[in-house]
Amino acid sequence: MESERPLLEVENLRTYFDTPRGILKAVDGVSFSLDKGETIGIVGESGSGKSVLVRSIMNILTSNAIIPDGSEVFFDGKDTRNLSRSEAKHFWGTQMAMIFQDPMTSLNPVKKVGIQITESIRYHLGASKQEAMERALELMIQVGIPEPRKRLKEYPHQLSGGMRQRVTIAIALACNPKLLIADEPTTALDVTVQKQILDLLASLQEELGMAMILITHDLGVVAGRARRIGVMYAGKMVETADTTTLFHHMNHPYTEALFKSIPRVEHQSHTRLDAISGRPPDMVLDLVGCRFAPRCRYAQEQCVTDEPDLFDTGQPDHRQACFYPVGSPENAEALAANQATGITAAGLDLTAAAVS
Amino acid sequence: MAGTGKVHMRGEEALISVEDLVMEFPAGRRAVVHAVSGISFDILEGETLGLVGESGCGKSTTGRAMMQLPSPTAGSVRFDGVEMTELPKEDLRRTRTRMQMIFQDPISSLNPRRKVKDIVAEGLSIWHNDAGDTAVQKVNEVLDAVGLDPEVVSDRRPHQFSGGQCQRICIARALVLDPKVIICDEPVSALDVSVQAQILNLLEEMKERYGLTLVFIAHDLAVVKNVSDRVVVMYLGKVCEVAGPDALYAHPAHPYTDVLLASIPEPDPDHPVSDRQITGELPSPINPPSGCRFRTRCEKVQDLCSTEEPVLKEIAPDHYVACHFPNEVPVSVNGNGDSS
Repeated sequence: MESERPLLEVENLRTYFDTPRGILKAVDGVSFSLDKGETIGIVGESGSGKSVLVRSIMNILTSNAIIPDGSEVFFDGKDTRNLSRSEAKHFWGTQMAMIFQDPMTSLNPVKKVGIQITESIRYHLGASKQEAMERALELMIQVGIPEPRKRLKEYPHQLSGGMRQRVTIAIALACNPKLLIADEPTTALDVTVQKQILDLLASLQEELGMAMILITHDLGVVAGRARRIGVMYAGKMVETADTTTLFHHMNHPYTEALFKSIPRVEHQSHTRLDAISGRPPDMVLDLVGCRFAPRCRYAQEQCVTDEPDLFDTGQPDHRQACFYPVGSPENAEALAANQATGITAAGLDLTAAAVS
Repeated sequence: MAGTGKVHMRGEEALISVEDLVMEFPAGRRAVVHAVSGISFDILEGETLGLVGESGCGKSTTGRAMMQLPSPTAGSVRFDGVEMTELPKEDLRRTRTRMQMIFQDPISSLNPRRKVKDIVAEGLSIWHNDAGDTAVQKVNEVLDAVGLDPEVVSDRRPHQFSGGQCQRICIARALVLDPKVIICDEPVSALDVSVQAQILNLLEEMKERYGLTLVFIAHDLAVVKNVSDRVVVMYLGKVCEVAGPDALYAHPAHPYTDVLLASIPEPDPDHPVSDRQITGELPSPINPPSGCRFRTRCEKVQDLCSTEEPVLKEIAPDHYVACHFPNEVPVSVNGNGDSS
């Protein structure tokens, strides 16, 4: 594995948007790599830049996006940002494919499901109508749609939410991509259907040997599904590790806070949740210091003035960006100092931390 | 009777009792959608009742039928001793001020063209006609209670807020008329986990501060468990199981409750992903299965399930299930505090 080049390499990726309010730094220096057949989970709140990150990787950004020099995305050894539009057309779909959060809006409401699946097969692989339909039928069976022959002739509104998401997965898989990007694929679905879709993605991934980027705001979703996890906050990765290490040695206060805000079914009812107070920062502003400091219980003077970089924790493949990592003696001291004064160095009131 | 039964009803002391509620909608060509088919439950004052089930199980329809939005096809909804289904229009309007709703998508349930202070004050201006100081005071009080600074937010419009903040505004709007009951229809489904925790905590605080009774509708049992005092599990317009949240988690009796519990994503990589998965699709509510409605997807199904509809029965103190072959539940369980 070491000798082979990773399937996807992202180096210091920055994606800015030119908005009327100023330059919005949606992704601000993210690096990670992904091997063939591997799954990485990217976790963060709304506005943390995780969707922009994968759209930058696919190179499907809006026209006001700016990618400063020094940002690199290599897929299979090729720089995706240098692809011409005509090259890119056959790159999307056959190399990388994407599924989105809301299956109703990502499907065309006035075209039959079968037409939507065969479209990319005919376009990319030049298959005949007949061949493409047969392949579509295979795909429908593969993604577990009952009565596939009948469903091919139906419109998206005739299917349930879970079935629609299965159809978008079938479309994404139509040309055997090497990388599947799933952007919050289950957020709009019920828990029962969420489990079905996640199980389906896991089994398809194993069967087809493709790599996957699974984006979510819920650490619970990636815990059993991804080999590695990257936690994003305000356009930066704040902690990356393999899944087991991340859950056992949570270092970054933001990761800890995300974890603690999940209601756990094994806790007694009416257990008060440890919500994260406040909101992510406005990314148009020039941010000084640690971006999480204003919401962090452990923030000290240094956090307000200096910006921490990702560094190795000593655990294999585990990197994090906090001066006072959770579980360290410095962290305990920082918390004690903050609790003694009732306020953190960044001005968070610890006495009324629940309501923003 | 139909996965119904009333052994779990607590009689006179309840603030709201819903009995044999039926909700049907015409689906064209004489077809009828059986959204809710004869369910009963009651809510004590100060209690939080959780209604849980998948999309299409009729939980939102039930919540709306309690508000008479629209009135149910059959059955009764008694609120504080008043039969809601028979109230004349004007009395119904008056009664509704004491029952408020919060919806799933906070952004689309606020009028984008109005200022926050006007959105929150609307109920007051309709009912009290005093647009003066007391109204402003009340609006400021509820905004403050939900964690928004009245001075900052009053003159802003909904697009200037995040989803979580919009949900706070919706909660403020529901609180302004001092209601007794708030029906929360999937209030956190559209929110991030971190914001979800803020809103769940806020609902608990508001319940305490204003002495509210809550109906909490959601599809995620982990969320419902966190806020509820009693949980009703619904499937395709019927009640499956009624129990206290801790008893329900410790000893789920209905196979469907099992499935709901197994579907919750565990934030623990050492916890193996359960291989229990619900198979198939929700059957059409136009033509629901005979007998037990869950039988088409149940792994314990027997012949009896297709011919005879299970009736709710008590299998442990305050734990009721509508299933012919429920899981064993130890009778000593008292419903609270036995889960670790």
